[in-house]
Amino acid sequence: MSSNRTRIIAAVEIGTNKIVVLVGQVSPSRLLDIIGVGVTSARGIMKGEVVDYKAACEATHEALEMASTRAGASIQEVWLAQSGGHLDAFYNEASVNVKSADNIVTALDMATVCAMAKEKELPEGRSRIHEIRRPYRLDGRTVPAPEHLVARRLEVGYWIIHGPASKVSDNIHVIGGYHLEVRELVLASLASGSLLTNTEERTKGALVIDMGKGVTDYVLYRDGHVLVTGTLAVAGEHLTNDLSLGLRITTAQAEMLKLRHARGTVQTRDKTDKVWLNGDGAFGDRQISKLAIETITAARTLEILEVVKQKLGPAFEAQHCGAGVILTGGTSRMPGLEEAAARIFGLPARRGEAPTWVNDELRDPMFSTALGIFEFALRGAHEHPVPAPRKSGWLGSLARIFATA
Amino acid sequence: MNEPAAKPALPPGRSWRDIRQEVQPVAMSRRGRQRQILAWTKAIGISLLLAGVTGAVYYLAHSWATDRASLATAVRSERVREVVLITNGVLAQAWVSEVLALPKASSLMALDLPTLRKRLMVHGQVQVAVLTRNFPDALVVTLQERTPVARVQVQAGTTAPQQLLVAKDGVVYEGRNYDQQMLAGLPWLDGIRLVPLAEGFAPIAGMAEVSSLLSTVQLQAPHLYRGWLIVSLARLAVADEIVVKAQDIPEIIFTRKRPFFKQVAQLDYIIDRAHDLPDPMLKSVNLTFDGQVPVRLENASPDASSKPSGKFLKPVGQRKEKREF
Repeated sequence: MSSNRTRIIAAVEIGTNKIVVLVGQVSPSRLLDIIGVGVTSARGIMKGEVVDYKAACEATHEALEMASTRAGASIQEVWLAQSGGHLDAFYNEASVNVKSADNIVTALDMATVCAMAKEKELPEGRSRIHEIRRPYRLDGRTVPAPEHLVARRLEVGYWIIHGPASKVSDNIHVIGGYHLEVRELVLASLASGSLLTNTEERTKGALVIDMGKGVTDYVLYRDGHVLVTGTLAVAGEHLTNDLSLGLRITTAQAEMLKLRHARGTVQTRDKTDKVWLNGDGAFGDRQISKLAIETITAARTLEILEVVKQKLGPAFEAQHCGAGVILTGGTSRMPGLEEAAARIFGLPARRGEAPTWVNDELRDPMFSTALGIFEFALRGAHEHPVPAPRKSGWLGSLARIFATA
Repeated sequence: MNEPAAKPALPPGRSWRDIRQEVQPVAMSRRGRQRQILAWTKAIGISLLLAGVTGAVYYLAHSWATDRASLATAVRSERVREVVLITNGVLAQAWVSEVLALPKASSLMALDLPTLRKRLMVHGQVQVAVLTRNFPDALVVTLQERTPVARVQVQAGTTAPQQLLVAKDGVVYEGRNYDQQMLAGLPWLDGIRLVPLAEGFAPIAGMAEVSSLLSTVQLQAPHLYRGWLIVSLARLAVADEIVVKAQDIPEIIFTRKRPFFKQVAQLDYIIDRAHDLPDPMLKSVNLTFDGQVPVRLENASPDASSKPSGKFLKPVGQRKEKREF
């Protein structure tokens, strides 16, 4: 972000259900102005992974074209959200003895321990997506900036997120097929978490769950830092499947029922309370027990949340999660999800609300990740510097002309 | 929370940034290919533009270093075939061509316009001269000429007397192409001393007032102007007076301290009144006083002429006007 010129950036989320593109004008002073929106139904994407390259390209490029046209500007670079069950993460830490005789921590000590903490080998064929540093520890005490402090031992840990290079490449190549360059890759959960939580909530501790159609992403914050991130390849689509199988109806009918009557917890007590399957009174329409629908969807919802809790493992401690559970994503619109989350995690849960600077039209949970990409990259650049444009000056400008239409 | 500035060792394993982002054209969508073609078109266009600019700069630099004369012909310039004259006066195209004396077969770009302009400006009749090249082969000369308001007779040494003209700004010049009848109607200047310069004479001081007087009388009382023969500036510097000798009045004294319009009106009235007298010969009319106009008559008796003026006539403004100006 060292560029001294306004850049036109597209934040792209290639989801299982929808492809969302937001075009933002980022000024040199890091001010963001959303100037274009493009949304299309996703094709060729399953659980966050590209399974049909051509279909995925068509849908994504249509959204890019729509956003670019509405913005009235040519997109210069893309910041892409990354999600899917193929992503994985691990924690690695390292410690060094402070070198100087007077035990004063130097920049060299910090650089050494950071390099060691990131040195963990990845399995073959995997690429790093993010390396998120946790706070330094000096002789066991947590400090944000250890330089010039006195201690014998300096420790630091990194939460390293990685994924198979082939699948990450697929997403990048979908953007490349539009003759654009991906300048930033942002984990979807980090993007949503950045948008829906503020500094105070992250300091108190917060769990953000982004439940989409094919994938559920989550991020746990503690002491203002990212503690754990994760992705489950289970989400709203499974609720639809469960309804389809359990009630012996088509997937389309199940999707309609889910949107109209699904709940995260069972509320209906009357077994005779029924709803029409299609609701059009046409031949073949029939009544279905509302209790059955809620039972099926609540069971799956609780299961998904339970899996999230299990994946968090010992990292999740309710007493260190003062801001509670924040829910977002398309499935978060389902009634009763907050109650289900509160029951599983033993914490207050709520739907995430976009900050006040977000336009009313973009406050839908569908836009959380795309907006969060901007928020994460612009805010988080201090912690994880976003690389400057690769070429600057007039040569860089010339190169950009060659690169973009 | 920035990471330390020291350069850390590279972490093992690939970063997503190592992934090659370019895709083959066959893997691009139709929109992507269109964008790529557009990008390449722009790139080629800019490359050609840069190449053109670079080539032009090189050519100019090379010409400057090796053959500066060729720079003059860089623009399509041909031999001067035509001299176009645009003037607000009477000078002719032939005179301009003669003065400019353009060398034969000289190209338009090779002309030294400042020098040519100087040649024209030497002649007092030319007040402003603008020379422009009209490619490929025409030189346009735009002149603004002086207008004569009076004339002087000059005799240097044993040469024959020469008639020169004087413009409003006092410039003395030899008039060309003027209508002789018009020149004959101009009054002569008297009471002046011409100061010779390297080229001509120094401008005559006070000609602005003379011009104002002459234009006023020419406009308001042309019948009077026709009889004016000599305008004397002898007393202008010392007494602010302009003395005019007319055909029927030997001395009419004007002052530059009062509006000429009023003085001309008074003069016209007095001449009209003089016609009513038994012997109308006016010898002198003094218009320098604001309230009264002393007049001397030709046949006035010695007693009468010893008075400051033969008759005292009240100013025009206090009488019933005979003529409206």
